[in-house]
Amino acid sequence: MLSAQERAQIAQVWDLIAGHEAQFGAELLLRLFTVYPSTKVYFPHLSSCHDATQLLSHGQRMLAAVGAAVQHMDHLRAALSPLADLHALVLRVDPANFPLLIQCFHVVLASHLQDEFTVEMQAAWDKFLTGVAVVLTEKYR
Amino acid sequence: MVHFTAEEKAAVTSLWSKMNVEETGGEALGRLLVVYPWTQRFFDSFGNLSSPSAILGNPKVKAHGKKVLTSFGDAIKNMDNLKITFAKLSELHCDKLHVDPENFKLLGNVLVCVLAHHFGKEFTPQVQAAYQKVVAGVANALAHKYH
Repeated sequence: MLSAQERAQIAQVWDLIAGHEAQFGAELLLRLFTVYPSTKVYFPHLSSCHDATQLLSHGQRMLAAVGAAVQHMDHLRAALSPLADLHALVLRVDPANFPLLIQCFHVVLASHLQDEFTVEMQAAWDKFLTGVAVVLTEKYR
Repeated sequence: MVHFTAEEKAAVTSLWSKMNVEETGGEALGRLLVVYPWTQRFFDSFGNLSSPSAILGNPKVKAHGKKVLTSFGDAIKNMDNLKITFAKLSELHCDKLHVDPENFKLLGNVLVCVLAHHFGKEFTPQVQAAYQKVVAGVANALAHKYH
């Protein structure tokens, strides 16, 4: 359950990301692969050559999905249903990996935005992304 | 047993030397209490934790954060011997403080975020990787004596 204040914080975070989806998304993936090398198993097409174009393209796609989740933060299950199906049936990323991605997301935002990314914003964003991860893994069994 | 390469050690000690341990400690502990409010359960005696600004401004939070991070500094000096370095503290956290080791991971991650916030672009993926390895090592060392 998101409070009105949390909703506002989440929207604020998205405002800081919007327009930089490719750049932030690519860095997110790069940090994920560097810090948690085991996550590369889920991206065989991406992680073997660290091709900048591919990272930017996939990063853009992932963050665009996050943006869609922000737009529908009050009905995530409906909005993310196709992505939940994809993760359950095709991708089957072990749920333990989502907190790793979330940690890297905070680091990307903190290092780029510094004081603009406040503690309150991190709290709300963490809660929101954790909720997204729950929805994406809900159909696994 | 965690093994750190020469590059990882260099990255870690270099950044650590530029840090204000006192301020960073308070920030990291404060951030933990804000982002993961259930961690406040260990700090009932700390007074006003009613809002993010109250938490971040709380003198007891700052003092305790400084203490925790100073101790962390011992890890930086003993990266090859974390379990031995933190053996006594591990017993303390289990027997006297009754802290779930999960909390060590949470604090470690928050500390990494605080470093990223301070150092910006200098906190590259490689530096992050080295620090995540350190905080994971410390978390494991602190949990090692639990029974």
